[in-house]
Amino acid sequence: MANSSHGIGGLAYDPKKRTRPSELNVLAALILIVVVFEVLGRLILGDSFLFNTRENVDTLFNEQRLQIIILQVSIVGIIALGVTQVIITGGIDLSSGSVVGITAMVAMSFAQVAVVNGNPNPKAIFGPEWMDLPVIVPVAVGLACGLFAGLVNGALIAYTRIPPFIATLGMMVAARGAAKWWSKGNPISFPTEGYAAIGQGMMPVVIFVCLAVLFHLIMTQTKYGRHCYAIGSNEAAARMSGINVTGHKVLVYTIAGVLAALAAIVLSSKNLTAQAGMGVMYELDAIAMAVIGGISLQGGRGSIIGTCLGALIFGVIISGFTFLKLDAYYQEMVKGVIIVGAVVLDQWRQSGRGRG
Amino acid sequence: MKKFLMATGFTALLSTTAMADGIGVSMALFDDNFLTVLRNGIQAQADAAGLSVQIEDAQNDVAKQLDQINNFIASGVDAIIVNPVDTSATQAMSDAAAAAGVPLVYVNRQPINVDSLPDNQAFVASNESESSSQGFTEQCKQWAAAGKTEVSVYVMQGELSNQAAVQRTQNYTDVINAGGCAVTVTVIDQQTANWSRDQAQSLMTNWLSTGAAFDGVLANNDEMALGAIQAMKAAGIDMNAVIVSGVDATQDALASMQAGELDITVFQNAAAQGGGALDAAVKLAAGEAVEQKVYVPFELVTPANIADYLAKN
Repeated sequence: MANSSHGIGGLAYDPKKRTRPSELNVLAALILIVVVFEVLGRLILGDSFLFNTRENVDTLFNEQRLQIIILQVSIVGIIALGVTQVIITGGIDLSSGSVVGITAMVAMSFAQVAVVNGNPNPKAIFGPEWMDLPVIVPVAVGLACGLFAGLVNGALIAYTRIPPFIATLGMMVAARGAAKWWSKGNPISFPTEGYAAIGQGMMPVVIFVCLAVLFHLIMTQTKYGRHCYAIGSNEAAARMSGINVTGHKVLVYTIAGVLAALAAIVLSSKNLTAQAGMGVMYELDAIAMAVIGGISLQGGRGSIIGTCLGALIFGVIISGFTFLKLDAYYQEMVKGVIIVGAVVLDQWRQSGRGRG
Repeated sequence: MKKFLMATGFTALLSTTAMADGIGVSMALFDDNFLTVLRNGIQAQADAAGLSVQIEDAQNDVAKQLDQINNFIASGVDAIIVNPVDTSATQAMSDAAAAAGVPLVYVNRQPINVDSLPDNQAFVASNESESSSQGFTEQCKQWAAAGKTEVSVYVMQGELSNQAAVQRTQNYTDVINAGGCAVTVTVIDQQTANWSRDQAQSLMTNWLSTGAAFDGVLANNDEMALGAIQAMKAAGIDMNAVIVSGVDATQDALASMQAGELDITVFQNAAAQGGGALDAAVKLAAGEAVEQKVYVPFELVTPANIADYLAKN
């Protein structure tokens, strides 16, 4: 059971009372949305959303569409994995989008090639001695960027006790400023082949899925995971029962920062460019994925599986609307309705069970 | 030397105006490639003339931009250059500057009140109706040369709230209606990718998943064209079989063109617009008359003349 440790912190918890894990509801919603697109597609366009209708391709499903559904959310999904842990501890991280911005800029600066089509790199940031470096350099520098940002977030929250909303809001503004300052707003392009390979093809999905499995295991099987739920359920009780709440919070925000940095590396590699405006609003998309996936903003409740399903719902909606040839306006409006709707439904379910 | 230049610059301005606190610039957005080149154009021209410019970032916020303009007026600048966040919200800016008697120059984006600007205000930009139409006309020629009579295309629009996105998309229709396209064009779908390479990649892959045959992609800017190209390459599409056009001629786009992927783009001379705006502002501050609408022409870029543009952006 994903939430079997929910009772830490003095709350009685009886797994038998829980008839349905909330992930099943999210899964049901995901299936429902897919069915709606399938039906609308057949009615309006006479085409199938999920199944292959092309004669020249011999597969049951439209594999290209299945791929893009997950590919287009996998990068924000990587961020959402970190944000999920933060939210489970009762915090919030608004800085991830901006951390993506600054990390992409810094990492790409160390990943440039010296020569483009026979000419010197027109977007060069450093001199030639800092170009054509092995791929480990930009990756390490990038991850260090995220680690630093996350460490600052965590330290501010844990030691000064300022609300996470404020601490990470500060980081959000400051990191975006740093991203613009880094190259005075100029985009940074032309990475080495090694760096470009990180985000090509379905690599973002592979990285996302591996990390999701890893953090699912960490959250369900380790002391770290149990402490996240304990702190989110009842911080005072967690402290009393001997959990190092301060240290744990620093760790959680640091992990979130590193994951945001990793997302930035994949994103800039996938796009073969880094721009100061990269990752704008990603933090909110990541939070929305978690919330749709049943993670409670009160803390203490939710799972990595839920977040992954939330991410898939996002992807299905984007692809579904393009499939139906509907404009982006509707896409955003529906996204908003789904975010709020998911939480309202979850609240109803929660209060219903409380009474029963 | 710099001090000397500044002193001479200021003396020149002092002779006509009471204040000598330089020129205030409010840019719509700092983290935009094109606007960065434009901003650097303003800075370069100012450095060359020994003028001090103060450049602010309105962060795509209309209210913030108006505040910045009022702050410039309050601090007594000689002239203001505005790159409007929202082209329909410029009346208030014109009014504020006119009331204070401070010259104002709009750059790159055409203000809604462009035909009723006071005498000491001007507008410097490229004529957007030329932009994508140049590229699209060339695209039509290339299709015709390849022996096609009917083509199917995808259209990628910029941010829908942005006038350039609307105009550039309108240009395609205008070219067709004016008989400027020798082939019959069918638009399979038209969607926004918000000027972004990443969104364009996803959008293109979504389109590819429908399996419809197409002959080209019309993108409102280069970033989106590059996103579309990356998606097509990932899907193994022969880049010689499709014709892709963008607008801006960014370095990334030119590199892609050299690699034989991007076929057509249109160069908008950002640096010249920035420099032109600064010139107009300096002249207005000195009380000289200027053309109220200064148009910097768009230039077509194809593999044939790419060498001329490699060092320009």
